[in-house]
Amino acid sequence: MTVKDGARFAIEVLRGGLITARHFAVNMARHSLRAIGIRTRRTGAVTIQYPEARKQVPSRHRSLHRLLTRPDGRPRCVACMLCLTVCPSECISVEADEDPDPEIQKTPIRFEIDLSRCCFCGFCVEACPEDAIRMDTGILEWGRLGRDDLRIEIWPGPGPGRKI
Amino acid sequence: MCVVEIDGCPKLELACATAVKDGMDVRTGTDRGCEARRVVLEFLLAEHPLDCPVCDKAGECRLQDYYQDHGLFASRFNEAKTKRAKLVPIGKSLLLDRERCILCTRCVRFLEDITRTHELGVFERGNRSEVGTREDREVATNYAGNLVDLCPVGAITDREFRFSTRAWFLKRSASFCPLCGRGCEIWIDQHPGFARTVRSKRIYRVRPKENPRRNGPWMCAAGRRGFAVLDSHRIDQIFRIKDGRRTILTWDKGLHWAALKLEELSAKGHSGRIAVVLNSFLSNEELFLARRLFRDSLHVGSLAFLDPEPGIPDGFLLTSQRSSNRRGARELGFDPAPPDWDRIAETAELLLLFAHPLLDAAAKGPIEKAWNRVRTRILVTPRESGLEAGADVILPSALPAEKPGSWTNIDGSSSAFESALESPGEALAEWRILTGLARELRIDGMAGLESIGRVREDCLRMHPFFKVT
Ligand code: SF4
Ligand code: SF4
Ligand code: SF4
Repeated sequence: MTVKDGARFAIEVLRGGLITARHFAVNMARHSLRAIGIRTRRTGAVTIQYPEARKQVPSRHRSLHRLLTRPDGRPRCVACMLCLTVCPSECISVEADEDPDPEIQKTPIRFEIDLSRCCFCGFCVEACPEDAIRMDTGILEWGRLGRDDLRIEIWPGPGPGRKI
Repeated sequence: MCVVEIDGCPKLELACATAVKDGMDVRTGTDRGCEARRVVLEFLLAEHPLDCPVCDKAGECRLQDYYQDHGLFASRFNEAKTKRAKLVPIGKSLLLDRERCILCTRCVRFLEDITRTHELGVFERGNRSEVGTREDREVATNYAGNLVDLCPVGAITDREFRFSTRAWFLKRSASFCPLCGRGCEIWIDQHPGFARTVRSKRIYRVRPKENPRRNGPWMCAAGRRGFAVLDSHRIDQIFRIKDGRRTILTWDKGLHWAALKLEELSAKGHSGRIAVVLNSFLSNEELFLARRLFRDSLHVGSLAFLDPEPGIPDGFLLTSQRSSNRRGARELGFDPAPPDWDRIAETAELLLLFAHPLLDAAAKGPIEKAWNRVRTRILVTPRESGLEAGADVILPSALPAEKPGSWTNIDGSSSAFESALESPGEALAEWRILTGLARELRIDGMAGLESIGRVREDCLRMHPFFKVT
């Protein structure tokens, strides 16, 4: 880095800081004026007090996957592995076994999704012939410290994801 | 499904039941023929359950193929489909699904014409016909696994493979079965796996590959089952064991150590105190290298073959010889006799043992006595053989399916194969271990044998018998 580059870098950092400071001052002023009853032409910026307050998630938003169950509590999934086939991120793994009901035949004994790879495309939901997998849990906070913790078991884990 | 139009015949004819004559003019793709097949297919599908998502055959099912070719029509069948038994055990870990069965009677005819064991038959008549076992006698033949392959739909499934994966995930590679002297040609179906999912096994099934001069389209149960065993208890690191402590070596160090010990004895003129135990799972090329290295160059004291015990032949494919290449060993001038362990225990100072893939604790009784008496023990093994604890150096080798080579079966016909699988970790094919040893020992005339192509060339020049025809 030359001296000239260094100077330019310092100037840009300073400019960034000034923009933040300006927003703070302007919004603080607008909120303060409003607090003492003076109406300005524009109101101060509003942010949500996350996590105490939360935004409404739109109904078609794709969030964490879940496996739907039959009325008797067993999974609708028949472990056909079509979701696994269509998944562009190759992040689903299903282990299948014999279902006690010969009409159903096949049932998953473990259904795992690697969220660190999932791109939330929703193809798995589209591909499922049994309407067994959906991404409508509204669960968005699943940040973890390690990649392996992001490998979550959505069956037989209790509810959506044993580790969540 | 095989009706065709034949010039001169007023009606459509069954291709599978019409004798071919000179000058016959057969048309397979005419509108009349296609329409007839489409109608037959519609009848077949009218009685067929929509099991494809859970059916093991999906992806390699003839009915699915025909539907792609002829139909893609919507179902006109509004009535309820007939319910039939879906899980009928018919013996040998096979399950029959009568709903999926299209009553082609291939299974019945296989057991009648090929194995002549007649376990299955078609019972009842018309709409109620169903495949079943005679008087509850189970399918017991050694060739029962072929029923799964030959059933055009998923009506016969194998408990072992059932539901373990889907057909389209499997990648097939051609190989030969090492487990008996026949050397059946096979497909090894493996799942390459996904980036971050760990699979407990690589190989999901082994199927016969059609070879009219050897196994036809069949293979025996031993070959099908054998492979599951070969994917477990693998050794994938080079170990030096000293005072019970294992250290991991590189190939260079491991080979260097082994060569040093061999050289020490041969330089002192004590080659007679070197014992080498080979096995007849080794390919012709490997045995050729072993002969040049151990017999012609080092003049070792004893050279023997440790093979699995002969078994009972079943009169069809399975032979009594339970390894793949004893004939090849004989052609190369070896006498594949079992080692004389007592003599080895008395005379040998160094024992270099090439363990075969099936060597396990059960077979090691007499070996262990000699193994513990000898001073230097070098073990080349693909799997845990139960002899590891006593070894000084363990060199991990590849399984037959993991290396290129050639074998000669009991009939004297040779077949060359390429590696069908990756070998795990550091494991190397025996021919590379042998060339590595020759390099370390600076054996004249073995330099330059660094590729399997060169070894093959040399071996064929001296033994034209091994030419693959
Ligand atoms: S949302 Fe897309 S990437 Fe994620 S599991 Fe489903 S198919 Fe795979
Ligand atoms: S979730 Fe649906 S697509 Fe995936 S294995 Fe289960 S049934 Fe098949
Ligand atoms: S081979 Fe399969 S479809 Fe044909 S009769 Fe036997 S079980 Fe049925």
